[in-house]
Amino acid sequence: MLKLRDVNVAIAGVRVLRDVSFTLRPGICTVLIGRNGAGKTTTLRAIMGLVPLTGGAITLEGEALHTQPSYARARLGVGYAPEDRRLISEFSVEENLLLPALAMKLDAAERRRRLDEVYSLLPQLAEMRKRPGGATSGGQGKMVALGRALMVAQKVVMLDEPFQGLAPALAQDYAKTLAELRKAHEGLALLITESSPNLLDSIADETLSIERGAIGAEAPAPH
Amino acid sequence: MLNAIVPLVVDGLANAALIFFVAVGLTLVFSVLRILNVAHGSFYSIGAYVAATIGLWLVSSGLNPWLSFPALLLAAALVAALMGPLIERTLIHWTYGKGEAVQILVTFGLFLILEDLQRIVFGVRSIYADTPMALLGVSEIGGIIYLNYQLLLIGLAVVVLIGLRLFIRHTRYGKLISAVVEDREVSEALGINTRRIFMLAFTLGVFLAALGGALATPTTGVAPGLGAETMVLAFAVAAIAGLGQVEGAAVAAVIVGIARVLAIYYFPALDAVAPYLVMLAVLVIWPYGLFGSTSTRRI
Repeated sequence: MLKLRDVNVAIAGVRVLRDVSFTLRPGICTVLIGRNGAGKTTTLRAIMGLVPLTGGAITLEGEALHTQPSYARARLGVGYAPEDRRLISEFSVEENLLLPALAMKLDAAERRRRLDEVYSLLPQLAEMRKRPGGATSGGQGKMVALGRALMVAQKVVMLDEPFQGLAPALAQDYAKTLAELRKAHEGLALLITESSPNLLDSIADETLSIERGAIGAEAPAPH
Repeated sequence: MLNAIVPLVVDGLANAALIFFVAVGLTLVFSVLRILNVAHGSFYSIGAYVAATIGLWLVSSGLNPWLSFPALLLAAALVAALMGPLIERTLIHWTYGKGEAVQILVTFGLFLILEDLQRIVFGVRSIYADTPMALLGVSEIGGIIYLNYQLLLIGLAVVVLIGLRLFIRHTRYGKLISAVVEDREVSEALGINTRRIFMLAFTLGVFLAALGGALATPTTGVAPGLGAETMVLAFAVAAIAGLGQVEGAAVAAVIVGIARVLAIYYFPALDAVAPYLVMLAVLVIWPYGLFGSTSTRRI
């Protein structure tokens, strides 16, 4: 579905991604594991169009994605939750969730449908829908960022280190939510980055390791 | 005592209203595009020239003189529609994400071009088109005579301030602008076409400046050098408020307006420097302006 072929990215002249190739498939959860600075975040940012490629190609269902501006990639159904949440602080939680719908000019029915879906997956968000985005805790903010990415993600969702900084109980909740998401959204392709593989054992179908900007051996997850 | 203060306040507020239009546009453009547009004042003077030209034409053509009111608005809209998208796409666009030095050089270059363009198109003479002010006449309140046009300016500034706040808080484009101000990159990744938002915000900034200029023509007329003079005043207001503050720009405009009028009434020699003395005093105590801060970005 989403394919990276020999993707190269350089930031300020330094090669950050080297010939990265992999494929995300519908219904499959791919976990990208690597140390800090290995290129995980840059991989997601390259897919989202937030850093320019110096070489290679990214396609979504056969169509070139890397030639599209970032906002168009979102409109094609690629959702992204950055590691540091980045909510709009003066918007309420619900306004944060609805921002993509507003940006993409979804009609009222579709907006409602997606919002209901997010609330049924993440009922805690419905409870704090009126709270300002800037007044959520770290863990809550991660949930809002996940919900917001899901408002966009009709085909692919990319989560950057979702468990980073989460308390163990919240991390478990988050993992449970991901499992439910996969049941509710069977065709969705997931790409999750993580620095330690243990947390994602239960939900990973495929793991990729990345080191110094290059993808290592591809191995099925040890179920 | 009151008889001395009230006219002073009305004068100051009318003055503040005109500065507010320019300063709030400047601050809007800065918040969204993160560009300090040195040429912003030129849109004020171009708005003034276009309004004066249309106003004089209306008078000479014998049409209903009351048309000169919508003509002021039309002048601002024309300037914004013709110059906003064009300048943003062809020039400002290239400075995004570049250092301040590049931005200032490019927009200063634009300022020089626009100044010369005004001399070529509108000549170097002063133009007066005071039909709107003459039509509205004066009011006598408590034995003091006020220009109704000044009262209209104050009212319009209040309407624009409230309208701008409602626009930002409650409309689709307003919310998209707020999101882009706070986090440009995430906004883009959530499906917001930030290029379009930049163009829109820049054009809105041009409109507000041109509106200020258009509304100023009936009281002061327009002459070469108006753009530069206005620009420096708008910078002073923005610095006092802290860049990126809509309501702050209104408060700062009132402070500067009143300070100017106080100087004119009591220390005429200080007229020109009064706004900068206030700015200096504010920045000594609050280096980021009255409402500015280093961390939070909002509009």
